[in-house]
Amino acid sequence: MSASCPRAFDEAQLSGYLDGELTQAAEQKVRIHVEDCAHCRALLAELRTMREATMSTEFVAPDDRQWDERPRSGLSLLSRGAGWTLGLVWVAAVAVYGLWQLWSSAAGLVAKVLAFGGLSALALLLISVALDRLAAARTDPYREVQK
Amino acid sequence: MTHPQPLPAAAAATPPSETQTVLLAQRGEETALDDLARSCRQQAYIFALQLTGHPDDALDVAQDAMLRFFRSLGRFDPKRPVRPWLLHIVRNLVRDRARRRRVRRTESLEPAADALRLEPSDPGPDPEALATRRQLQALAWRCLQELPPDHREVLVLRDYQGLAYAEIAAALEIPRGTVMSRLHRARRRLQELVRQRQRRTGEV
Repeated sequence: MSASCPRAFDEAQLSGYLDGELTQAAEQKVRIHVEDCAHCRALLAELRTMREATMSTEFVAPDDRQWDERPRSGLSLLSRGAGWTLGLVWVAAVAVYGLWQLWSSAAGLVAKVLAFGGLSALALLLISVALDRLAAARTDPYREVQK
Repeated sequence: MTHPQPLPAAAAATPPSETQTVLLAQRGEETALDDLARSCRQQAYIFALQLTGHPDDALDVAQDAMLRFFRSLGRFDPKRPVRPWLLHIVRNLVRDRARRRRVRRTESLEPAADALRLEPSDPGPDPEALATRRQLQALAWRCLQELPPDHREVLVLRDYQGLAYAEIAAALEIPRGTVMSRLHRARRRLQELVRQRQRRTGEV
């Protein structure tokens, strides 16, 4: 059934007919043509069988536990953002105070350098991750969906 | 209002409860937001699954789609139905993913067979006819992913999602006449692929 209608009938009308999308006049034309044309009659039957199969196909959906939580409302996002900012400021303040205390203490130079080296490495790593995240968020092509 | 209003056509009207839910969700009402999330994510997942063929991809796309959905909720006109908008978001995400991964049609993997619910919920009077239909459903599902994306989209929107031609035209931004001709070509191609597979494997 891959050949087309021998009478050059517009076969797409058969799909429109099956879907109930034709005007009454066009529907009538299809009915009359199909009575006469064995090719289109057979095609219509095949299309109908396939359409019934696809339309009745059921899909397995994931259960509720597989979903991320939906984005929270404005207020909770705001408080979360404020919480993170305050937390980070606190960590920075404690780190600076601790380093200053260490520097002005009587500890030996080697101990001071070791402490500073390790902490600076951690701070640099943190900054690089934060910058990457920021760049990713900026270049996300679907920040605003069309329409 | 003194004149009785004619009832709107069922297919075109947005159910009043949906409009209400969207309005409440736009005002930040938590219950309405939860209701909307619950009803939309399954729809987004199923549509993404039909377009991609793979549950993992579909879940990724659906999660992304829900994020976009809620981000743009404030700008959505609550009088419009939600479903075409949601499907539009999913379809754009699927297209974008395919472009980014440069997945060519010939390279696409066999779609997941366990994505279909094939056990009959109601065996009906004729179990043999039902078994034949289940086989055809599984075959069509396997062949669907071999269609070119624009054919697959239109076929999925009509036959799996049950949208009317006018809704498909709006979702895909093409004329209604194109929907009918493209859908017909897609159905013929699917039929051909199914037949080829039946010949190759001897399935019914």
